[in-house]
Amino acid sequence: MNDRHTPTPQRSLFDRLADMNETTLAALLLAPAFIFISIIVVYPVATLVWNSFNDVRLLTGAPSRWVGLENYLLLLADAQFWRATKNTMIIVLVTVPGSLVVGLGLALLANMPFKWRGPIRLSLLLPWATPLAFVGLIFAWFFHSEYGVFNDLLRRLGLAPQIWFNSPTLTMMAICIATIWKTSSFMALILLAGLQTIPKSLYEAADVDGASKWRQFTDITLPLLVPSMLVALIFRTLTAIQSFDIPYSMPGPGEETQTLAMYIHMNAVDYLDLGYSSALAVVMFGLSMATTFIYLRYVKADGK
Amino acid sequence: MSGVSLQKVTKVYDNGTKEGVKIIHGIDLEITQGEFVVFVGPSGCGKSTLLRMIAGLESISGGTISIEGRVVNDLAPRERDIAMVFQDYALYPHKNVFENLAFGLRLRKFSEDEIKKRVNDAAAILKIEHLLERKPRALSGGQRQRVAMGRAIVRQPKAFLFDEPLSNLDALLRSEMRTEIKKLHQRLGATTIYVTHDQVEAMTLAQRIVVLSGGNIMQVGTPDAIYNQPVSKFVAGFTGSPPMNFLQGSLGVCADTATVLLTDGVQLPLAASWLPRLAGAHGQEIEFGIRPEDIGIEAGAGFGAERAAMSGTVVVAEPLGAETLVTFACAGGEVIARMPPSVNYRPGEAATIYVDMQKCHLFDRANGVAL
Repeated sequence: MNDRHTPTPQRSLFDRLADMNETTLAALLLAPAFIFISIIVVYPVATLVWNSFNDVRLLTGAPSRWVGLENYLLLLADAQFWRATKNTMIIVLVTVPGSLVVGLGLALLANMPFKWRGPIRLSLLLPWATPLAFVGLIFAWFFHSEYGVFNDLLRRLGLAPQIWFNSPTLTMMAICIATIWKTSSFMALILLAGLQTIPKSLYEAADVDGASKWRQFTDITLPLLVPSMLVALIFRTLTAIQSFDIPYSMPGPGEETQTLAMYIHMNAVDYLDLGYSSALAVVMFGLSMATTFIYLRYVKADGK
Repeated sequence: MSGVSLQKVTKVYDNGTKEGVKIIHGIDLEITQGEFVVFVGPSGCGKSTLLRMIAGLESISGGTISIEGRVVNDLAPRERDIAMVFQDYALYPHKNVFENLAFGLRLRKFSEDEIKKRVNDAAAILKIEHLLERKPRALSGGQRQRVAMGRAIVRQPKAFLFDEPLSNLDALLRSEMRTEIKKLHQRLGATTIYVTHDQVEAMTLAQRIVVLSGGNIMQVGTPDAIYNQPVSKFVAGFTGSPPMNFLQGSLGVCADTATVLLTDGVQLPLAASWLPRLAGAHGQEIEFGIRPEDIGIEAGAGFGAERAAMSGTVVVAEPLGAETLVTFACAGGEVIARMPPSVNYRPGEAATIYVDMQKCHLFDRANGVAL
């Protein structure tokens, strides 16, 4: 057969990709992810930041107008913003350590070798799988002044029942209790995974070395659980900063127990003031980023 | 004086049934103070469980364990004054080497000066002084092994327990650490119980070997006794590398001669010293055992009661440098022979091999017991 008549075989897509230089190939392969993230993250965040420097009030019908830092100056002088921030910080400072402690207790319990460990672990998932708003509604009933189980408990203990949602302090307490109940199981799941990575032989070595159960906990379990705790704390703190559903479903008197996320929601959805609510959202975004940054510094320092 | 004493020690695991699963069947063993004893056996023979029972990490279901005369059955590990080296070393990953060694001393409320002195002494013995500041993850396998041993020796306990401590090391490091452990024992003279599945470790380290199988002691003896006078086919096959060769056959016993009859009509005359033991054993089905080093290719002093000839075919020759292992097909089976490196066999070649009949072993084929 004459070679000259043999048709050149069709070059496959893979052959052509292989011939490309590495930079072009890398760009090509990264492009889909880059485009996707641009659409769902970069574009909305950029729009948010842009809006925060503009007066965008949908109710007035006026076109949006560049106002520079005016929205930010406004919020610095806004008492309602500071109250919402304070409430949010209270939720962060109470429920993050609270759920860490409760979650650690649950994780230790679920990690113990006993017969009903399987069902216990499964039941750990339950609060985690329950929708936030649902938890808020359930706990609003628990704390109901007439029919609530908490007041019933107080009465049985011979204490005076409370009108929980009449007092900002009591409402915040109720919100924190509901939040800790809801979020501890998530903490417990992450910590349980962490506990299971600690080799059993370390406890045996400590046992032979002479460590009591308490010393084993403080000298082995806790230090080796730090990485898992940091991961859990990052997630937990971020969701606490963004607290919305539970405080929204368990409102106190007026707007006394409003959180930052609720205040943003009010400005954006009720007042249709996208400029001001964007500025508030940027502040919350900044808080979240700062928290993550601080924790990551810890994680890095721990890895050294 | 008694170091560690086991009397009728049993272990039963609960498996839901009334009687449970018995995995240690009434072990009796006396270990004298300062003795180095190795528990050896295949996986699942109960050797690690037995060690952990002595340590207090596993409860005992029956019997008595005493350490230096004190019954420790119901004492927690920390009250038994023992130290243990684990297979995975079990070093505390967040503590540096110094703190790993010091932890047990701190818990026992030693003074800071005493802790420093003991840790430094142990570090000097194990040549890890330069590693004291490092975390375990920055150490090599051999260094971790040393730290694990250091943690045991700082405490100066009544007994050292080793649970397969060398099995995570590569071959070269393993033989190096084996020597270190032996030196350490010679230096400290502490009662040591060492668990391994590696018969080389058992042979080289032990003053006495305890061969275990299925939760029972098969034989207790010096390495020499275990190697040269195994009480059963199991023990014989477990020691030596390569292990003892076994060929199936039967006995031909007359008034003044005894012969091993192998398949294919091979007959090997037994030494006269066997006769008293073989009375009435004519026709008994046996396993004929011979170690690789007791097979030769030269006729030597001649035939007769001491050396017997067999013809075979070379299957494979494996040169190891100092020696060559040659596998022969003969008498219906295969035997491995330890040969000088000068031999030059080709597969398929016919050869005559000589068996040292004074060194042979006979086992009852039915129950494996040595005759």
